[in-house]
Amino acid sequence: MISGSSIFIHVGQIHVDVAPQAISTVLGSCVAVCLYDATTHIGGMNHYLLPFWNNNGLQTPKFGNIAIPKLIDAVVAQGANPRALQAKIFGGASMQAMRDDTMMIGKKNILVAQEILREYRIPIVAQDIGGVNGRKIQFDLTQGKVLMKYALRAE
Amino acid sequence: METQPEILFLSRKILELNQQLVESQSAKTHFVSLVANQLNNPMTTLLGLIKHLEPAQGEKKHEIFAMVHEAVLELDFRIQNLVATARIESGSCENSATLVDIKSLVDEALEALQYMLDAKEMLVVIDDAVAHRIVTDAAKLYRIILNLLANACQYGDTNSDIEIALKKANNTLEIIVHNVGDAPKVEFKPQIFTRFAASAEGAHGLGLGLSIVRSYCEMLDGSVDFFVSDRKVTFVVQLPITVQDTTISACGSDEFLFESFDDAIEL
Repeated sequence: MISGSSIFIHVGQIHVDVAPQAISTVLGSCVAVCLYDATTHIGGMNHYLLPFWNNNGLQTPKFGNIAIPKLIDAVVAQGANPRALQAKIFGGASMQAMRDDTMMIGKKNILVAQEILREYRIPIVAQDIGGVNGRKIQFDLTQGKVLMKYALRAE
Repeated sequence: METQPEILFLSRKILELNQQLVESQSAKTHFVSLVANQLNNPMTTLLGLIKHLEPAQGEKKHEIFAMVHEAVLELDFRIQNLVATARIESGSCENSATLVDIKSLVDEALEALQYMLDAKEMLVVIDDAVAHRIVTDAAKLYRIILNLLANACQYGDTNSDIEIALKKANNTLEIIVHNVGDAPKVEFKPQIFTRFAASAEGAHGLGLGLSIVRSYCEMLDGSVDFFVSDRKVTFVVQLPITVQDTTISACGSDEFLFESFDDAIEL
């Protein structure tokens, strides 16, 4: 049970806040990265749709390689200690309707999160990724815990 | 399955290359954000105060005032596009749902662009077949319409007509803007909706307008496309219409969304 209110984020959004706030979203093949600094109780979440921005359109956080560095910058700008940051990643399901999943969007979204977080030396302390089910998550900034439920089918 | 490791390997390579691309573009992104913030406040002051300087009709200075006023409006249009771009790229651009009368948004956009229409002596014909107000993000839809109309004014022929059709079918809102004039080449479609891409046509402007249109359409779960026939250009925006009570938050109506986390997994 969260003590503050919960902000819902959509695809391409980033939200950074401090305890007792919570942040929630619903994911299919999209991935959400949750960052948390337990010393300041500052944390943030993004929700991206595709792995790479390829110079087509605006550099928006609906792309993983844009959304993750922006989330890191945003939590640090809010006062989080970059060395104390821990990450949790969720989502990246394969769509039910595309069982063969030749595009592997979900897998590529997961890969981008893992690679970029490794590059920034931010440890991934929990994750629930892949599979075929959508997920609903709520990130509680009081304790840095994420509550997660599976949807019957991916978004 | 050998393909999966190979695809993941290639994805890592793409990520490396894209990092270089992002870094090469970061100065541009930072510049847009900085300029937008620095220009927005003085622009608001200028817009608010300029009307108080209007000389009486018939005075010699009135013509000069009209020119300055047009320049301020044009500048504001460009600055608001920079502000929109900076917001989209920052990721802090949330949707806000309200009941919207689409026709009134079109009228508002035409009023803001009246100076451009007058300068090119263009006429606007509106076919409004949307009887009801719909739930959407009014500010985003306004900027979509404003940029499509500005595009039609900018590239349309002098003395030509701009036709705007508003349609609603199968829970989809269609905004169709026709103009006759310099047509963007269909083979440049991806570039047309990319920022700073006006050079694809060797034309003017910052090349931001249509990139904002596409981003806002995507944020509203819609799409934008254009078609060219001879010199007639047609831009079509399609947006899903959410049927919901405006007193409810815009988080969607999916039951799953509103389920409690009582039996959730904790990670």
